[in-house]
Amino acid sequence: MDTTRLLRLGELALPGLVVGLIAGAVAGGLAGIVGQPIGWALVSMLALGVPLALLGGAYGLLAAFRKVRIGAFAPAALFWLVGFPLARLAHEVLTHLILVGEPQLPPDVLGFLAYQGIISAGFAIGFLWLHERIAPRWWRRMAPHNPEAAEIYAVYAAYAKHVYEQRQARRRSRGRATTQQR
Amino acid sequence: MVDSSKVPVSGAGETGADTGKAERVWRAGGLDPMPIRKLPDAPPAIHLLGPTVFLVALGVGMGESYMWPRLVLVFGPEIRWLFLIGVTLQAVVMLEMARYAMATGESIFTGAARVFKPLMWFFFAVAILVYIWPGHLSAGAAAFEEITGIPWVLTACIALVLVGVVFTLAKVIYNLLENVLSLLIGTLVVGTAIVASLVGSWGDLSSTITGMFNFGYFPSDAMSSTWFPIVVGAIAFAGPSGMQQMWYTLHLRDSGAGMGAHVPKIRGLRHASEQEEMPARGFMFDTSDPDEMKKWKGWRRWVTFDALLLFWGITMLVTVSFTVLAQAAARENPNVRSLIEGGDRDAALNAMSDAFASVGGSVLGGVFFGFIALIGLNATLGLFDSFSRGQADMTYFFVPGAKRFKISHLYAFFLWAVIIFGILILNFGPADGPSGVLDILAFLSTFAMGAYCVVLLLVNNRMLPKPIRPKWWSNVIIGFGAVFYLGMLFYSLFRFGVVVS
Repeated sequence: MDTTRLLRLGELALPGLVVGLIAGAVAGGLAGIVGQPIGWALVSMLALGVPLALLGGAYGLLAAFRKVRIGAFAPAALFWLVGFPLARLAHEVLTHLILVGEPQLPPDVLGFLAYQGIISAGFAIGFLWLHERIAPRWWRRMAPHNPEAAEIYAVYAAYAKHVYEQRQARRRSRGRATTQQR
Repeated sequence: MVDSSKVPVSGAGETGADTGKAERVWRAGGLDPMPIRKLPDAPPAIHLLGPTVFLVALGVGMGESYMWPRLVLVFGPEIRWLFLIGVTLQAVVMLEMARYAMATGESIFTGAARVFKPLMWFFFAVAILVYIWPGHLSAGAAAFEEITGIPWVLTACIALVLVGVVFTLAKVIYNLLENVLSLLIGTLVVGTAIVASLVGSWGDLSSTITGMFNFGYFPSDAMSSTWFPIVVGAIAFAGPSGMQQMWYTLHLRDSGAGMGAHVPKIRGLRHASEQEEMPARGFMFDTSDPDEMKKWKGWRRWVTFDALLLFWGITMLVTVSFTVLAQAAARENPNVRSLIEGGDRDAALNAMSDAFASVGGSVLGGVFFGFIALIGLNATLGLFDSFSRGQADMTYFFVPGAKRFKISHLYAFFLWAVIIFGILILNFGPADGPSGVLDILAFLSTFAMGAYCVVLLLVNNRMLPKPIRPKWWSNVIIGFGAVFYLGMLFYSLFRFGVVVS
């Protein structure tokens, strides 16, 4: 795979990646404000933020290539049902590895994964909510030089155009009605 | 003009097959008849976000982050079945509010005026009495003070002016607010899920969730004069409380949902000259046309998705998460339990923050306050817009001579009036309202909820054409809501001499 292709894929994945990273940053981002050791905050932020960002980027690619229905909740919920517990597991293991020096699984791994699986439904709602706000705008910016971004943006644009045309038609009919009443 | 209604006096009837050249109308109640227009197509699944974002912003507040976790610590997770009833009831109320707003493009206030005008004036007065006090700013601003050290009154005053300036400069207020609230709530939801996943455990979650299905559990202590009004208040404040559901109909209209597409959006004061003239009444679609009814079903599916996933789901998620957090905090630090039970909100929030700090590093303490501040900001943005929108709507359509102004001017008038009053009160008066009338305000807020259930039954069953009226089971649930809110309110008043807390 050449560099251009990789860059284009990266552009498609970026919105999901950013949302995942923002979510991870929640765990450590406020540390600076509350005056906590920057090292602790950074470890927590990266150990959770990087796995979530990678998974978020993967979801963005699936959406961009229409492997999942864009804007729909069920595929996002299924994706994070698997992805979120794995990211949290990685977070636990990595944090121990970096701060203590040796990796350690949480006690009762199955219970841990089941709990994270349930929480993932909430995470999926928030992720999708943010992704649908950010991704279409970003893909529009990338569209001039990235054909795949142009293609996925065209889907959103077609919908927006449809809504716009409906609105214009209504305005025209409203204008006619007002004229008739006069 | 041709009246398509077969029973014009009562307003009940069909948008029949009158094919004359004159304009067909739907006559409902005592106001102008509604012209028949085309119903727009419902959005496909791609359109995930709707005006529910406002209801979530208003609804997810202290009830979810403080009152219910408190009750769980006092009475155990089994008490949460009452929360399930409260939120589910609110989801059905939301669907019924949406029915009238999407079918007519009118607010529920206009619907109430069609039935009996004094009903609408009652809500106009309640809104002013209950919502001009800036007390709702205090929790969020106090949490911000915990993080930054900036005095909360200063933050609250700056926030008030900022809200006013932003809403004044906005071209279309709805679009701006939907974007801002979507980002804030998205961050809140994602962040809450993450923090719950870090702090909570399987045991906390399963007891919180199974507690929701302990129907009928009501410990004897909850029947005391101390706790019963608090329980009633917590049920009434599960999800959107007071008049928030009624304002949702205005947001639906501005989002262009259903027949709301035929009504112009409200613009900020700076762009008031571009404000299109508001039609004197709403519109109706031809309910005898199968194609129109198909589109109507599409709109109902859309709003049901909003109600179930976004509203019910997010409200549940935030409350379950905060309850899990409170349980974890109480386990870690027994002092939290006594503070939360004692009812000192600020001390309890501080103790919860400290407990999180000891569980997951002190960063989590700051994160916790960050969320409380975020919830406060969402509620403030939503409340100021909603209040001004509702009062402007009622003034424009029902105060004689008000149509000389544009609706953007009236919106700006109410917005700045409540902001200036808020700043004065924050600096010189009682933020929650004078202590002598606090009980009256709490009473009015809950009474309005029972009252809007009655209004909903009247409006949807008498002012809409038969094919789009609510099903019997929906009427039963809304009727239950009226009895539930008003019954508990008056029981608390007569049995214990106390209104809701």
